[in-house]
Amino acid sequence: MKRLVLAEFASPEPMVEAARKLRESGRQGLDAYSPYPVHGIDEALKLPRSKVPLMALVAGLTGAAGGYVLQWWTNAVDYLINVANRPAHAWPTNIPVTFESGVLLCALSLFFGTLFYFFRLPRPYHPVFESEEFRSASLDKFWVSAELKEGEDGQDLVRTLRDLGARRVTQVAEET
Amino acid sequence: MAISVAARLAARRALEPLPLLEGDQDDGTLNKTLLGYVWRRPGKGWLLLVGLGLTGTALLTVAVVITVAKGIGMWGNNIPVAWAFGIINFVWWIGIGHAGTLISAILLLFQQKWRTSINRFAEAMTLFAVLQAALFPVLHTGRPWFAIYWLFPYPSTNRIWPQFKSPLMWDVFAVSTYFITSLLFWYLGLIPDLAALRDSSSKRWMRRVYGIMSFGWRGSARHWHHYKIAYLLLAGLATPLVLSVHTIVSYDFAVSIVPGWHETIFPPYFVAGAVFSGFAMVMTLMVPARRFLRLKHVVTPRHLEAMCKIMLTTSLIVGYGYLMEHFISWYSGNAADFYQYANRRGILHGPFKSAAQDPYIPIFWLMVFCNVVVPSIFWTKWGRTNVYVMWFASILINVGMWCERFVIVVISLHRDYLPSSWTIYKPTWVDLSLLFGTICFFSTLFLLFLKFLPAVAVQEVKELRHELDTEHERHELPEFSQEAIHPMELEVGEEDEQEEKLR
Repeated sequence: MKRLVLAEFASPEPMVEAARKLRESGRQGLDAYSPYPVHGIDEALKLPRSKVPLMALVAGLTGAAGGYVLQWWTNAVDYLINVANRPAHAWPTNIPVTFESGVLLCALSLFFGTLFYFFRLPRPYHPVFESEEFRSASLDKFWVSAELKEGEDGQDLVRTLRDLGARRVTQVAEET
Repeated sequence: MAISVAARLAARRALEPLPLLEGDQDDGTLNKTLLGYVWRRPGKGWLLLVGLGLTGTALLTVAVVITVAKGIGMWGNNIPVAWAFGIINFVWWIGIGHAGTLISAILLLFQQKWRTSINRFAEAMTLFAVLQAALFPVLHTGRPWFAIYWLFPYPSTNRIWPQFKSPLMWDVFAVSTYFITSLLFWYLGLIPDLAALRDSSSKRWMRRVYGIMSFGWRGSARHWHHYKIAYLLLAGLATPLVLSVHTIVSYDFAVSIVPGWHETIFPPYFVAGAVFSGFAMVMTLMVPARRFLRLKHVVTPRHLEAMCKIMLTTSLIVGYGYLMEHFISWYSGNAADFYQYANRRGILHGPFKSAAQDPYIPIFWLMVFCNVVVPSIFWTKWGRTNVYVMWFASILINVGMWCERFVIVVISLHRDYLPSSWTIYKPTWVDLSLLFGTICFFSTLFLLFLKFLPAVAVQEVKELRHELDTEHERHELPEFSQEAIHPMELEVGEEDEQEEKLR
């Protein structure tokens, strides 16, 4: 069973500070929550470089290549349409569809890839939602969460967070 | 000193941009004003408008059923005017649908802060406009159930494939990619706001509905980390995409050899026209919406003025396009081309005099009036700051842009190369119902959006507010900037201080 300590901050800066201090003290399973992206939190949590651009590049190139091959194979190999004896494979006429299919696959991967793979959503239940006050995380407050180790009672962590300026600290446990 | 300090101060302040957010805002007040109206009971005006919109949508349904059941003989199309209302309305709607992506993507890449308050609104408008646009070519195929294998490369039992060398095929790919990308871009931006709606709801079922729609978003820093990059990349993708879509739409015409269509100026001229009409539609919808949804503190005169300036710029590009077309028709020395444009203007001489009776001449001049003369009002500060002026101008611009497509499609076709087949085109009641019906359907969708979803990107406005506050605190903004300071803050004491500095 996963247990989390949640701490609420009134503004983004102390939240970033708290996250940095906790990470520097060697605590694992940290996360921060905010209604909008907060400057500096990536670095405070030492998040690794995102692989989203790589995924988008691969998807875009695959889409473009697929689009081109589709046009070439359908119009020049499988089903020849002879219009005024023009060449069956004329690459300039393939540019628009190649571009569009590259963009299409790239956009699809950016949305669904990020959502399903990077965010691991849809996930209607998460232990943080056990706390009713956590509603403010998408509205106007800034939260830090830290995972508790097996057998740890968390009192020290609660005290540390209060010292770091948390206005409210609660503990939640995953529903089993 | 000839000019007083006060006058100089006033002049400098007049040159500084107006505030992006008005009043003393914080996250709490923004939540209340930007999310609050979703929970309010719909007003009588809203219900009345939705009722009217649904009535018009019923008319659209009737027209669609008649078109499909009896065939496109119910339209006024003939030979040589085989493309008429179907294509005019398609291009008109798809043009309107260009402002959304322009505002959200191109202005994002250019870091224009004023985009934040209007991007959600414009993106929704884009989606609904592209939906209307897509209806017309599908109906124009006559048998939409066959259109699937004419247009999409799927292995059907007929064992034939679409012709990819046709601009119409490019169009299918461009428009469907545009719709899907715009939808995903819009929804990605909407997810954090849907989570905010979930968390500010008071009823359990509302919490459920918005919870499902937000996919369980919790605003985690680990998610924002990828989210920011994905959003930016989608914007980067949407930018060439939005330019490609209307370029490809213009190829539908430019790749053919019809006089009046076969022009190299078409792609840039179409894109500028699309942005022009898109901004006009955003203006038409935004002016009443900001009043009735009480959004005046986030959609300030600064935003409206910026939109007026874009309309003025694109109007100049479009005007240049008109001028160039007519110039080239004379300069090229091509008789068919020369006749085509002379016939549009109605100013004819020599052997062509007989054609001066063309019934479409007023449509050409109405287009020139609406697209070139009317937007000139935005040269004046008065035109750019008076909401009534800009609202009426935006409606006229949309009328003008519809006329432009009429001029390009119908006037070009009805005077083809072969004088013996020249004829006059008249729309039937089915044509008119389709146009009117799509306007109503569009309005209905838009009203539903305004009621159930946040019309302003709340998350982005909060971020902007925080950013402006921090910059203000650190004195990173120029001295006279009004970005974060509300005019109310500039009390007498501060003015004295600034006067001191000026001296």
